[in-house]
Amino acid sequence: MSYQNWLNYLQSAEKNSMISGRLRKVLYKFPDGQQMAEEYNMDTGIIQRRAWRKCKQLMGEPEWEIELGEEPRQLNWSGNKQTGPGGDADSLAGSEFTVRESNTAPLLTKRVTKKNIEWRIRNMPYALEVYNVTASPEQRAIIVRTTNKKYYKVIPVPDLDRCGVAPAQDNISVHHQFNTLIITYKKPDILCEMEAQVLLLLKNVETETDMDDLLKGLMAK
Amino acid sequence: MAETEKIEVRDITRIERIGAHSHIRGLGLDDVLEARAVSQGMVGQKDARRAAGVVVQMVREGKIAGRCILLAGEPSTGKTAIAVGMAQALGTETPFTSMSGSEIYSLEMSKTEALSQALRKSIGVRIKEETEIIEGEVVEIQIERPASGTGQKVGKVTLKTTEMETNYDLGNKIIECFMKEKIQAGDVITIDKASGKVNKLGRSFTRARDYDATGAQTRFVQCPEGELQKRKEVVHTVTLHEIDVINSRTHGFLALFSGDTGEIKQEVRDQINNKVLEWREEGKAEINPGVLFIDEVHMLDIECFSFLNRALESDMAPVVVMATNRGITRIRGTNYRSPHGIPIDLLDRMIIIRTVPYSEKEVKEILKIRCEEEDCIMHPDALSILTRIATDTSLRYAIQLITTANLVCRRRKATEVNTEDVKKVYSLFLDENRSSKILKEYQDDYMFSEITEQEEQDPATGGGAKRRVESGGGDAQPMEH
Repeated sequence: MSYQNWLNYLQSAEKNSMISGRLRKVLYKFPDGQQMAEEYNMDTGIIQRRAWRKCKQLMGEPEWEIELGEEPRQLNWSGNKQTGPGGDADSLAGSEFTVRESNTAPLLTKRVTKKNIEWRIRNMPYALEVYNVTASPEQRAIIVRTTNKKYYKVIPVPDLDRCGVAPAQDNISVHHQFNTLIITYKKPDILCEMEAQVLLLLKNVETETDMDDLLKGLMAK
Repeated sequence: MAETEKIEVRDITRIERIGAHSHIRGLGLDDVLEARAVSQGMVGQKDARRAAGVVVQMVREGKIAGRCILLAGEPSTGKTAIAVGMAQALGTETPFTSMSGSEIYSLEMSKTEALSQALRKSIGVRIKEETEIIEGEVVEIQIERPASGTGQKVGKVTLKTTEMETNYDLGNKIIECFMKEKIQAGDVITIDKASGKVNKLGRSFTRARDYDATGAQTRFVQCPEGELQKRKEVVHTVTLHEIDVINSRTHGFLALFSGDTGEIKQEVRDQINNKVLEWREEGKAEINPGVLFIDEVHMLDIECFSFLNRALESDMAPVVVMATNRGITRIRGTNYRSPHGIPIDLLDRMIIIRTVPYSEKEVKEILKIRCEEEDCIMHPDALSILTRIATDTSLRYAIQLITTANLVCRRRKATEVNTEDVKKVYSLFLDENRSSKILKEYQDDYMFSEITEQEEQDPATGGGAKRRVESGGGDAQPMEH
């Protein structure tokens, strides 16, 4: 029931920070070789995106794994994260994928708000009664089942893991509209506390110049 | 009707061809490394096999790097056979690279590059890695080909587990894999997301009643549970060379399939050595040193030998086994003569295993084993004659006569080869001695007879090359003493 481990882990990292637009971006380089990138909204202080880059052993450069927020949409962007090892831009071009989920397949994204953690599963056309969302404290995850056996997903909740809390059924609420299943999990107090502590920690990290302003200045000339 | 079909199926599955050493299944040693007289396709040569057994033990323990063993002996005394036996005894887990000394003379690669690639192919690394796999039962599969026949194929597959179902788009490469594996609805498959490898686990139990009859090797499995995409820890066994290739080019591991590796920079190799050592310390990887076998080692030249001298000192070097049938001869690329055509300083680093000519009894055993291997039933008298031929001419020539005699025998609609058949093929096909005798007699009737005198002066190429062509056997050259 403590987030001290997580704070120490963040503390141990080499941190870089920069501001672009209304976003503050922070890059953590941990001593064990992992990297984490975060984007905070400057207005609300809420995290919008978080991604991990874990070391891979074979197959060249590791890819970013998105834990939170949406993937950047690019032209030529071909569905969810595919396959191509190496992950360099030219190997992904065109039809150079091995296998990927079709664009009608359900797509899970995660969002964090001030009070809640939210998961949205798009492309889910079935009615609300079909879904069965349960918290599984043993697996430290939330499990989504469907009675028509079309979708099943074990959603890990790393935020809760970090402060040593197991997910509880009472905090879950489920909602369905516009082909989208929305699962809302009310943050426990300890999680809010931890996030505040992290923000305090980041306050001390020096921030580089605003690239956007710099660019704007250059363009004006 | 059913009977004929059965036979046909058997013929299709047996696609292996019978090679010169396909009867060898091991070194034929017992638990205390004593050689059995006839075992696992090996006959005689007890001392050499015992020595090879000790080498195998050394490789298995994997502690010693960069040892060099030379198999020396007259032609057709079983040097390559012992090497093949070693490879079999080591099993599939231990890398065993087999190359011929002449293989390094490629125009695309320098000699030393070819050698160091061969050395690195002989070191295996077992790596534990977490990969993402998709595991599910195929519900539906669609592959659309363009009407023109060539061009992009479009593929879609629906996979399910007991809990869920998802559609996947298939890329071009993986469609080929699907077609090769003949995947259809009802199969349970896994797809490795990173490499795109498709693996068929079996058919789903729910589809067991689809067909009235199934092949004997059809396996029925349960439909997988839970999520389609899973993370699994897999153990790869790769060689250092493969890691080099993956990291040396921008196309990464695709270069492994195209085979176009070119030269690999020494910096890349050094980096990988360090990385592998690092992984080993972290317990992520295990080094699995193997064997590099260089046949016809006298074909290497002085540069290769001095390169080997140095390369064997590295602690990442495999155990190198070499074989030669030469006595004291010129070292290639120099004018010096040396035992086995190998410089003394390299010879000094080697331990030498000698193979001795086979006795008549052993020759008979070998011929018997070969008859079995080539599916040929031979009358004992015919076998005695063949043994006689083998001792008078060469073992290789006698082995060549087995299948040919079998064919002659089948032409007279018999099943057992008798003495007449052997005599017939003996008169049909000349051995090396008879052929050269004829050549000596009728020398003047052949083309270019005026200049042969000069050619024979050249000791290295002229005589040897000519005999090689005539006898047909790859290395049936006499040992130069």
